[in-house]
Amino acid sequence: MPTVTIDGVKVEVETGATILDAARKAGLWIPTLCYHPAVSPPATCRVCMVELDRGDWKQLVTACNYPVRRDITVSVSSERAVRARAGVMQLLLARAPENEDLKAMARRMGVEGTPYPTVTVSQRDCILCGLCTAVCDEVLGCAAIGFSGRGQDRAVSPPFRQPSEDCIACGACAAVCPVGTIQIRIHEEEGEIEISPFKARVKLLTCEACGERVVSLPVSEEALKRAKIDWEEFRRLARLCPKCRRRGAAARLAKSSSAT
Amino acid sequence: MTVVESKRLCSPSDLANRREGLLKSSSRSARSVRVCIGTGCAAKGSRRVYDLFTQAARETDARVLAVKCVGCHGFCQRGPIVVIQPGDPSTALGAGVFYQQVEEPDVAEIFRETVLGGRVVERLLYEDPATGERARTADGIPFYKAQQRIVLAGNGVIDPTSIDDYIGADGYSALAKALTTMTPEQVLQEVERSGLRGRGGGGFPTGRKWRSCRNAPGMPKYVICNGDEGDPGAFMDRSIMEGNPHLVLEGMILGAYAIGSSQGYIYVRNEYPLAVEHLRQAIGQAREWGLLGEEILGTEFSFDIRINRGGGAFVCGESTALMASLEGRPGEPRAKYVHTVEHGLHDKPTNLNNVETWANVPAIINRGGEWFASIGTGKSTGTKVFSLVGDVVNTGLVEVPMGITLRRIIEEIGGGVQGGKAFKAVQTGGPSGGCIPAQHLDAEVDFDQLTKLGSMMGSGGMIVMDEDTCMVNIARYFLNFLRDESCGKCTPCREGLAQMVAILDRITHGEGEAGDVERLQAMAVLLEGTALCALGKTAANPALSTIRYFRDEYDAHILEKRCPAKECRGLFRYAIDAEACKACGLCKKHCPVDAISGEKKVLHVIDQEKCTLCGTCFEKCPFDAVLKV
Amino acid sequence: MAESKLTEEQIIADIVDRYESDEGMLIPMMQDLQADCGYLPVDQLRRLAGRLDVPLSRLYAVATFYSSFRLAPKGLHEVTLCVGTVCYLKGAGQIAERISKEFQVEAGGTTPDGLFTFQPVNCVGACALAPVMIVDGKYHDGVSPDSAMEILRGLPAEDEAAETEAEA
Repeated sequence: MPTVTIDGVKVEVETGATILDAARKAGLWIPTLCYHPAVSPPATCRVCMVELDRGDWKQLVTACNYPVRRDITVSVSSERAVRARAGVMQLLLARAPENEDLKAMARRMGVEGTPYPTVTVSQRDCILCGLCTAVCDEVLGCAAIGFSGRGQDRAVSPPFRQPSEDCIACGACAAVCPVGTIQIRIHEEEGEIEISPFKARVKLLTCEACGERVVSLPVSEEALKRAKIDWEEFRRLARLCPKCRRRGAAARLAKSSSAT
Repeated sequence: MTVVESKRLCSPSDLANRREGLLKSSSRSARSVRVCIGTGCAAKGSRRVYDLFTQAARETDARVLAVKCVGCHGFCQRGPIVVIQPGDPSTALGAGVFYQQVEEPDVAEIFRETVLGGRVVERLLYEDPATGERARTADGIPFYKAQQRIVLAGNGVIDPTSIDDYIGADGYSALAKALTTMTPEQVLQEVERSGLRGRGGGGFPTGRKWRSCRNAPGMPKYVICNGDEGDPGAFMDRSIMEGNPHLVLEGMILGAYAIGSSQGYIYVRNEYPLAVEHLRQAIGQAREWGLLGEEILGTEFSFDIRINRGGGAFVCGESTALMASLEGRPGEPRAKYVHTVEHGLHDKPTNLNNVETWANVPAIINRGGEWFASIGTGKSTGTKVFSLVGDVVNTGLVEVPMGITLRRIIEEIGGGVQGGKAFKAVQTGGPSGGCIPAQHLDAEVDFDQLTKLGSMMGSGGMIVMDEDTCMVNIARYFLNFLRDESCGKCTPCREGLAQMVAILDRITHGEGEAGDVERLQAMAVLLEGTALCALGKTAANPALSTIRYFRDEYDAHILEKRCPAKECRGLFRYAIDAEACKACGLCKKHCPVDAISGEKKVLHVIDQEKCTLCGTCFEKCPFDAVLKV
Repeated sequence: MAESKLTEEQIIADIVDRYESDEGMLIPMMQDLQADCGYLPVDQLRRLAGRLDVPLSRLYAVATFYSSFRLAPKGLHEVTLCVGTVCYLKGAGQIAERISKEFQVEAGGTTPDGLFTFQPVNCVGACALAPVMIVDGKYHDGVSPDSAMEILRGLPAEDEAAETEAEA
């Protein structure tokens, strides 16, 4: 098992684990925005930069997806790494200066405001991290939303900016959004879930088991809070109403108690 | 004449026999007319010229004459180019009569005088603008004299749509040699020995890349040809793909053999339709002849190639973005912490090389890695094809040994700066490169030297700029280009480039602020350290290199609101030249703010207080009497 | 004899077969589709997504990422202006401005009367002929703002083209 010496602290990790894994094991905080254990790291935000010692030179790498395959030495608190992370955060603050989540992270990083003017305009402070699209695709298998455009025109949207037929209104996208851009509103009377800023209204789900109209939002919120997520379970539960979920859980409990 | 049942070559001796047969056959005529149909010449009507020659030939004895289309000679500015070969058609470009700027009405004269009569039509020969001398053959043209054409040897000589032509010119002999007398390891060693480095911009040692891919665990292995030549001003790869597609195929087959791959891809830019067509034809022909597909030349080695086209995105020249595109996804790069030689296309070991890199391989196998290493410099071996364009007299593709000086390329081959103006800078390496000023003209061109000067070799673009070029605007142009082409995935590139463009826009519009240069430099450091891919990492180079060598221009723009090159509108003045002014009243009539005074026959004068610097008078004056000052 | 026009489903089926349902060839498939209709209709993309069993969001991402794809019908003619470095140095910027101003068309857009679609591109590899403008596949070298205007003003509108055909 390779050893990562991170800011002087030595930790052993599995081959293929990331520098971020090592940092957490060592009890060191590295800021992240686009990282979420549920999905493969988009590595788009660049706020987790650390300095990797390569012997005759030092390389800035993203902690969230750099795979550890041999013993390495990493610096989180070197001046260069701190400046790199601060610079990235300042660019993000320029893009979304009023966003409270960003400002809170900036404060924690010791970044005071931004010297840059706002030159790019985003939809509702979206930082284009890609977590929402990743969770919708990789975890739910729906791919109801995706990226469109390129460069400054890049945006997250359902296809053709029309309400997506593939959306199951599970709310996973809102649950993983690091800056609170995605908001869910439930319209009881119309029987719809509105997911903004996608301007999409999705009919409430029908429970696979009993046919009741259901909101699967609470399911995902609950599931994503857990430390270790069972994705098979998650996918199954997202399509059941609370009653049927409980019934399922009761059946499982009965089965295991009768087995003893 | 015997009818051949199947074209398929079942062994290397089949190939050798076929070659001999081609060289001897009666279709080898006394004279041949080679008309260039590359994109440059075709744009000027060379296809029509080709048709007229074909028509004329039909009315003559076919044993005496052959008309064929050939690929890009590289001297597109002088197109359409027609070369009349005296006899043996396998002779190099140097021996034929080289006609340039041939138009439809000229065909009849050339046919009568040169093809049939053996006489030269003087006025269509190249004339040296400096000496007035006319050159009969390409050898006599300064543009070609100092070149060493190895990669481009077949361009202008063979018909790119004919596999016969390629085989007749020794094509696929390297493949036959490798498959019969060399193991894959030996082929790999030859490439390592050659010191060949990637010609697409990275300059990574090719042999080392091949070896890493060969050693990587996992099957299948893929080889890819990167034909997404996106650097504006560079068209070397276009010329090779259009003009000698089989050369690229042969190189790839050799590489696949060395690495252990059975499937290859050629990714061609969407903007190169002729290259796609010629490559497609070539692949079809190679398959027919048993040079691609199962059991190549009757050996156990099988390999095939597919062509894929780009959709219009500069970033797809980046290897991981290209692979994403080959997987049917947007061309977004990914981290290279795990190299693509280990996990590339479809997560399998993949070896990607540039068109020109592949095109060098057959010669290396035929003549040996040592021969290749004897050309060029210690760390940059072989030749490089450059596209010499911009404010230079002779524009076109130039193949020279590494280590030649910038001065020789620009002055000797390029003929110096157009219009007798002063040289200001040469931009190399595309949008990731930089501008090199006059004081470094004697620098030797190789990978490391150019990098030391704050630029890079890149894919080979060399854009010459004269004294009237605003270097701040050049930086703005390139940063704007990169901002448009950025995939937008990572924060620093997407947001940082927008910030840099905003600063440069301000500066070129007279709204620069003290500290702007430092802001640009700081952003460069941030981009280099935090951007996800090479596009973002090197994006600030155009700004950095122009700041390094032309700081005075930045200062003038920012502190004095003045553009020394008189290019940025509003940052220079207009004045009327007393000697040239004919007092016609045209400028006065068009001035939107009535800033010009003067009557008919009375000298016109611009009132600088009123003038809004719109430039209308400058455009309208028929006597060029309005000057930028 | 009347030619039977392929149904929209058949067009998609043909394209998918041509590339053996290889989703890696999605971009060439979409290029073929665009070559057929002149642009990428939403319904056709839906069908293609269904046939390949690929999420529609991926097709939308690809269609909006690459410059060569259009989601709206193009004009009668296609005008491509190279704005690569050399063409830019030789004045392509001014030509682009003039075109936009006179014909009221944005980069990538179509003129209000549908006469032509204007697509600036970053380098077509014909740098010796700068500035280069390509109209309906035909290359024009060394264009100036004035000569470009002349070429574009001379583009035949639909009615004229139909009339000349009828006369012929």
